[in-house]
Amino acid sequence: MKKFTKVELGKYNGKNGMPIFVAYQGKVYDVSSSFLWKKGKHQVLHKAGLDLTDELKVAPHGAEMLEKFPVVGILEHSC
Amino acid sequence: MAKVTREMVERSGINVDQLVELLVKNAAAELTTYYYYTILRFNLIGLEGEGIKEIAETARIEDRNHFEALVPRIYELGGKLPRNMNDFHDISACPPAYLPDDPSDVREILKVLVEAERCAVRGYTQVCNMTAGKDHRTYDLAQAILNEEIEHESWFSEFLGEGPSGHFLRRGETSPFVSKFLK
Repeated sequence: MKKFTKVELGKYNGKNGMPIFVAYQGKVYDVSSSFLWKKGKHQVLHKAGLDLTDELKVAPHGAEMLEKFPVVGILEHSC
Repeated sequence: MAKVTREMVERSGINVDQLVELLVKNAAAELTTYYYYTILRFNLIGLEGEGIKEIAETARIEDRNHFEALVPRIYELGGKLPRNMNDFHDISACPPAYLPDDPSDVREILKVLVEAERCAVRGYTQVCNMTAGKDHRTYDLAQAILNEEIEHESWFSEFLGEGPSGHFLRRGETSPFVSKFLK
């Protein structure tokens, strides 16, 4: 499976026609097909191209919302 | 805009532009839901559909009431609705509640309805979380809407066999929680 660094993940922010990826607990999800991730933003507060593991802890939903989206890679953790 | 109103919310630590954007998105969800629920309600036909038609209609009207209640607050805080209604549709906080591929399947319509309500419950929970103890008017409004969305979700969930809702159908007027904002 493809490995993403945080910098690489940051490119997939939905801008300039780029797909929309987000990371959660080490997995990178392609949420491009989601109505709620249009233009790389979710509910005003959350941006694509980032590791959202901490943000999901305070969201009004759990990680189950990501399960319907394809996993396209693994996020490498920086040392 | 109510200048001091906005200032008080800013001074409480809330990013008012973000809050307004969130309120506009939720207002879009309410108005588009009102539209899509019209189609869904018309398709709740036959013996099975007839039993759900009234409750779907109540949810539809109350979601329209939610839109009507939200818009003044948006303008009080210095926000505005998009000029173009197509844009308004596309920024909705919830996906469109489209008629399912098989409109004769009442259960599939119920799934669309319950998911729409669940999205709304999450959305207003988020607004309540942001505004609790800080923006008292928006919190009051969001909480009122949330109460009605929770009841909507529970009704449709009950019809899907997920357990009792604990509620009766509305007796009397709609929007028991939000109506005070509509006077």
